[in-house]
Amino acid sequence: MESVNAKFLHSMSARRRVGKIVTYIVLIAIAAIVLMPFFWMLSTALKQETNIYKWPPQWIPHPAVWKNFINAWNAEPFGQYLSNTLFIVILGLSAEVISETIVAYGFARFNFPGHDVLFFLLLATMMLPFHVTVIPTYIIWQRLSLLNTFDPLVLRAWTAWGPFYVFLLRQFFMSIPTELDEAAEIDGCNPLQTFQHIIIPQMKPAILAVIVFAFKGYWNDLLNPLIYLSDMNKYTMNVGMYFFMGGTNESPQWNYLMAMAIIMTLPVLLIFFFSQKYFVEGITFSGIKG
Amino acid sequence: MNDSYITTFFHWISVAVALVLIAAGLYLFLHYIVRWHQKQALGLALVSPWIIGFAVFTAGPLVYSLYLSFTQYSLFGNPKWVGLQNYINLFTHDPQFWPSVKLTMLYALITVPIGVVGSLLIAILMNQKVRGIGIFRVIFYLPAVLPDVAVALIWRWLFNGHGLFNYLLSPFMHIMHVSNIDWFGKAQYVLPAFSIMSIWGIFGANAVIFLAALQEVSKSYYEVADLDGATKFQKLWFITIPLISPIILLQIIQGIIGALQIFSVAMFVRPTTSAGEFMNQLIYERGFTQMHMGEASSIAWFLFAIILIFTLLIFKSSTAWVYYESNIKR
Repeated sequence: MESVNAKFLHSMSARRRVGKIVTYIVLIAIAAIVLMPFFWMLSTALKQETNIYKWPPQWIPHPAVWKNFINAWNAEPFGQYLSNTLFIVILGLSAEVISETIVAYGFARFNFPGHDVLFFLLLATMMLPFHVTVIPTYIIWQRLSLLNTFDPLVLRAWTAWGPFYVFLLRQFFMSIPTELDEAAEIDGCNPLQTFQHIIIPQMKPAILAVIVFAFKGYWNDLLNPLIYLSDMNKYTMNVGMYFFMGGTNESPQWNYLMAMAIIMTLPVLLIFFFSQKYFVEGITFSGIKG
Repeated sequence: MNDSYITTFFHWISVAVALVLIAAGLYLFLHYIVRWHQKQALGLALVSPWIIGFAVFTAGPLVYSLYLSFTQYSLFGNPKWVGLQNYINLFTHDPQFWPSVKLTMLYALITVPIGVVGSLLIAILMNQKVRGIGIFRVIFYLPAVLPDVAVALIWRWLFNGHGLFNYLLSPFMHIMHVSNIDWFGKAQYVLPAFSIMSIWGIFGANAVIFLAALQEVSKSYYEVADLDGATKFQKLWFITIPLISPIILLQIIQGIIGALQIFSVAMFVRPTTSAGEFMNQLIYERGFTQMHMGEASSIAWFLFAIILIFTLLIFKSSTAWVYYESNIKR
C-alpha cells in the first residue's frame, strides 16, 4: 500500500517537473518573440550605414556607432519639436487631470436631476469614433481663427474630454467610503474642503494612472497636431517624425530612424516604470486599457 | 520664450477662469433662484465643464457632421446640400471606398479574435506560479509601452525587403521558391503584415487585464474541481472562462472599436495604397488633404455605423455566453 502511494507521489512530482520545464520553454519562446524587435531596433540604431543591409544580418553592430543618436536628433529641428510637444503635454495634461477629477467627483458623490442621463451620455461618448467629430471641431477652430496655434490641442482639455478617465476616476471615488466624507462634514468641512483634504489624498493612485494613460495619449497623438499645426516650428515630435520617415518607396536611413524610435520610446518607458505599481492598479480597477 | 506659447498659455488660463465662473454662476442660480438643494446645485456645477465640452465638441459636431455628410463643402463658402449624393458616390463609383472598408473590416476580424484568445493564453501563462515569473510579466508588457511611432518604425524595418523578417523566413521561402517580400509594399501582404504587427503589440496590455481578472477568481472553485478530479482543460473551460467572461466581452468590444479606428500606426507605416487604405486614413485624406469635408463626413458616419452594428451584435450575443456572478447572488 505504502509503495503504491510513494510511486503515485513520485510520478506526480515528475509530472509537475515536466510541466514546469514546458512552462519555462514556452515563457522563454514568447519572451524571445516579444524582445526580438526591440533588440533589432537597438542593433540597427547603432549600425554603421554600410552594415545596415548586410546579408546575413549583423546581429551585434560592429562598430557600434553611438553618434547615430546625435546625428538623427540633429537631422531635423527635433529640439524645437520636443519643446512644442512638452508645452502641449504640460498644459493639456494638467488641465485634463484637474477637470476630470472634479467632474468625476461630481458624478460619484452628488445626486442631481439629470445625473443618470448625463453619466450615460458620458459612457456613450467612449464608443464614438474620434473621426466623426473631427471635421466640425476643425471648423470651430477655423471660425475662431485659431488654426496653426496650440490652442486646439490644449484648451479643450479643461472640459474633461477623456470619458475613459472620468469613468476610471469616478470608479475610484465610489470605492472611498462615504463615512469619511460624513465625518469631515460633522467636523465642519464644507464639500470643497472635504474634497481637498479627505478625498484627493486617497485618489493619488487613480490620478497617477490617469496621468500615465493621458501622457501616452498626448505622446501618441498624430491626427490633431497634423491637422492643426502647419508651421514647421510648431510641429510636435510625432509630426516631425511623420515627415522624417519619408514615403513608402523611399529607402530611409534605418539607423537614424531606429535611433529616433528609441528616443521616442524613452519618455513613455520611464514614466511607465516609475509608476508601474499604481498604473497596474489603475487598469485592473476599471478593466480599461490605455 | 516663443510668442505662440505665451498666447496659448493666456487663452488656457482664460478658459479655466471662464469655466470656474460659469460653474459658480450655475451654482448660485440653481441654489438661490431655482431653490435646488445645496448638494444638487453643487453636483451639477461640478460636472458643468464636461457638459459644456460635450455640447460644444461632441453633440454639436456629431449633428453637424451628419448634416455635412449630405453636403459638398471645402471650408470656403457655405456647404452645398446634395442629399444622398455623397453616399451614392461612395457606394457606386468611388474606387477607394470598398477596398478601404474591406481592409478595415478584415483587419478587425482577423486581429481581434486572435488578440483576445492569444492574450488570454498569455495571461494564463503569466499566472503560473514559477520562479522568475515577475521578469516575464515585465517583458510581456513591454510592447504596450512603445509609442505608435516606434511600433510602426520597427515593423516597417522588420518587414522591409531587406529586413530581418525575410531573413528569418528565408529557409521556408527557399523551399517555396519565393524571393524576398516587401511586405508593406505589396498589396497582398499588407493585411498579413498589419495583422502580425497588431497581434504582437496587443498581447501586453490586454494580457495584464486578463491577468488581473484571473487573479480575482476565487481558489475555492478550483479546489472543489480538484476534488471532483477535473482536468486542467476542464477547469479552464468550465470555471475560468465563465467567471472572466465579462472581461472577455469588454476586451472584444474595445478591441473591435480600436481595430476599426486604426490610424496613427498606419499613417507612420505608409503601406502601399494599392491594398486600399484604412477608413480613418481615407477620412483624413478626403477631409484634410483634398478638402472634401462632406465626403469625408459620410465615410466617418459609415464607419460609425459599422462600429455601432458590431457593438450591438456583440452585446446581443453576450446574453448567451457572458456570465455575471451578481445574477446568481440575487
